[in-house]
Amino acid sequence: MRIHYQEELTRLETQALGGFDLVNRSLDRTMEAVEHQDLELAQIVIGDDDQIDGRYLEVHQGLITLLATQSPVATDLRLISALLHVIKNIERMGDQCVNICKLLPIVGSEPPTDQEMVNQILSMGKKVRDLNIQAKRAFADRDELMALDLVVQDDFVDRLNKKCFALAIEIGDDVDLREWAMTMLLAARALERMGDNAVDVGEQVAFIVTGLFREFEDASHPL
Amino acid sequence: MTAERGIASSAAGSGRIPRWAPWAAILGTAVVLAAILTLIGFNIALLLVGTAVFSTVAIYLWARAVEGHRQGLDRAITMGISSLFALAMVPLISLLWTVASKGIDRIDVEFFTTSMRGVINDGGGILHAMTGTLIITSLATLASVPIGIMAAVYLHEYGKGKLKKILTFFVDVMTGIPSIVAGLFAFALFAIFFGPGIRMGVMGSVALSVLMIPIVVRSTEEMLRVVPDGLREASFALGVPKWRTVTKVVLPTAMAGIVTGVMLAVARIIGETAPLLITTGAFSSVNLNPFSGRMDNLPVFAYNQYRNPGVPPEPFIERAWAAALVLILIVMVLFLVARFISRRYGTELR
Amino acid sequence: MTAPVSNPVSPNSGVARRIDVKNLNIYYGSFLAVKDVSMTIQPNKVTALIGSSGCGKSTFLRSLNRMHELVAGARVEGSVTIDGVDIYAPTMDPVVVRRQIGMVFQNPNPFPTMSIYDNTAAGLKLNSKRMKRSQMDTIVEKALRGAHLWEEVKDRLDKPGSGLSGGQQQRLCIARATAVEPEVLLMDEPCSALDPIATLAIEDLIDELKQKFTIVIVTHNMQQAARASDMTGFFNIEHSGDPGQLIELDETEKIFSNPVHQETEDYVSGRFG
Repeated sequence: MRIHYQEELTRLETQALGGFDLVNRSLDRTMEAVEHQDLELAQIVIGDDDQIDGRYLEVHQGLITLLATQSPVATDLRLISALLHVIKNIERMGDQCVNICKLLPIVGSEPPTDQEMVNQILSMGKKVRDLNIQAKRAFADRDELMALDLVVQDDFVDRLNKKCFALAIEIGDDVDLREWAMTMLLAARALERMGDNAVDVGEQVAFIVTGLFREFEDASHPL
Repeated sequence: MTAERGIASSAAGSGRIPRWAPWAAILGTAVVLAAILTLIGFNIALLLVGTAVFSTVAIYLWARAVEGHRQGLDRAITMGISSLFALAMVPLISLLWTVASKGIDRIDVEFFTTSMRGVINDGGGILHAMTGTLIITSLATLASVPIGIMAAVYLHEYGKGKLKKILTFFVDVMTGIPSIVAGLFAFALFAIFFGPGIRMGVMGSVALSVLMIPIVVRSTEEMLRVVPDGLREASFALGVPKWRTVTKVVLPTAMAGIVTGVMLAVARIIGETAPLLITTGAFSSVNLNPFSGRMDNLPVFAYNQYRNPGVPPEPFIERAWAAALVLILIVMVLFLVARFISRRYGTELR
Repeated sequence: MTAPVSNPVSPNSGVARRIDVKNLNIYYGSFLAVKDVSMTIQPNKVTALIGSSGCGKSTFLRSLNRMHELVAGARVEGSVTIDGVDIYAPTMDPVVVRRQIGMVFQNPNPFPTMSIYDNTAAGLKLNSKRMKRSQMDTIVEKALRGAHLWEEVKDRLDKPGSGLSGGQQQRLCIARATAVEPEVLLMDEPCSALDPIATLAIEDLIDELKQKFTIVIVTHNMQQAARASDMTGFFNIEHSGDPGQLIELDETEKIFSNPVHQETEDYVSGRFG
């Protein structure tokens, strides 16, 4: 029964989750741009963010239409609410990549680099990439445990962020590197925010499955 | 191309036959048939039937040629049904015309104000017969209506199982009783107590009741059936016991229909002659006491006037026709009143 | 302990009652129509009963005021108590029970031979309650105001009840049911025969009425149950011919956002066969 409704809901979920792939593509390019200080690549990332925004609008519109026309209840309603959150998080993640890319030209095309810091940033990027894949999988499978694990994985990202902060302070004495270090710090912050976005997606998974809407505490301090 | 075939193919023919076509067909056929019949032997019945049949055929062919097959068939059937209706009306109109024309001669004040007391030939009237019919019919109604309505209420609202089936069966049987049998029943009943020579107004009422009760039961049952169950449910849900629901909700709702049914039952029995012939007898003076002696009434009067005319027979025959006309008029008035009541007081039951 | 027959609970005190149903089985002859229902209906709340056709919710509703007994061969096992009084006790007269409980039906059924005034007062008049005209006037006005109908009919109280629109007729039936101040109001698909505007008007009315009465409403319309009720009970049958059963009873928002049973979830989401 209600075949059209079911199909449409499934389609919107697929579209929404496909946003993760778009984000990871942007993320990969952003990391590459950071590694090689590639300003052209950064521009491409900024331009391609329109795709992510477009995906957001499309899915959002589709969900609103379902709410208006199909009176969804119970699990369907929770799924639609969750998808609204997910697609918002994906759009934010795309914006974070754009933020990072916007930072690169500030310091010119051949800036002095501290390899250690760059490595930290790249590690964070890789971790966030894994987080996205895990979040997507957890949502698609409605896997609550996998979703909870996102918190643990996000801890790595948070720790790397703190390390970057410490490094930046060290570098701070060097006048030439200082400006560059500040922008890198902002980049790290953007990546840390992306990790949080992924965790938010995990919270939505729990909501669909249990019907309870809660912030994930630190997994090592369970409720 | 399919659309063309679909709607376009059912398009009518090019024109329409004129409005006066059916009349022309009838007239034309009638004239032609009359001409033919004059030659081979005139017969009014053949003329009428023949006109009906052949004008139908004529209209069909005409319409088919001008308008198309379906329209042709449509008109032919309309014509056929109308002709049949007209044919059925012929005897009725003929009867009304005959009675009216033959009876009108004696309709005068004297006719309604005098009885046949002391009348040998001319003059006289139906005062005694009218009072007789009034009294006998009223008594019959007085007995039949309560019994009939209560029986119907029992059958529809309370009855169930075997008793209901038996009662319904008997009511059905009673609707088919020939009126003479009802008369014989009343005759035999009173003969037991009073001997076979007894004649009384009330005996006629008893006979008429036997005929009237099943009619009242049937029509009341029908009216009760029309009352929607939703009303009964609403009443029960208010905690109203069943008997109150019946008397205060169901019966008032059905009342206009029941009254109409009763009036139609009266109209039905008011002209019954056979049972009254052997129960009430005939009497030339006014008798207002239904429990003592013979009481004349309109149908018996008309019958006797026709059957046993004096010499010369004309005044008697005239009086017979006039009495019959009065009877028809009374029945007509009853029908009209019944319709009026039904329309004015009947509740629109959605 | 038997309560006096004419007075099952205290005379209609206008206080909403609580209904406790325990292991109720409803039979028509030997056919079990509703099986083993246990539930509590809270006072001053609207409880909606939903479920597909033929699953026994109407039968169950009618068993609450013994209206199902109008069908030959109907009987129950188990108990239905209103504030502790068993309405199926052997000494209990069903007619008296029905005076304490009001009922509104799917097709509005005002009495066609009675005026609007008489219709509203029917519960009193048909039961030959004697009272002064002024007293009855007050009751009728209160009932019609309570049903949001007073303003529309106050100038034509002596006109027949059948002259109103569908929505107005239904409100008249509600006024008729509430005029006798029952403690419980049962409604069997009250809006099924009405247009959407009239339906919403009745729903607003129900929301107000629950302040005075305990209301149980059977509805086919899930959105209506979601909008208008505080508690929702879901009835279902396994196969055609099986008895109906209460699957789940819970707060309405829970039933429609996160029900416990998969059957309930399937039904409210429209994934039923």
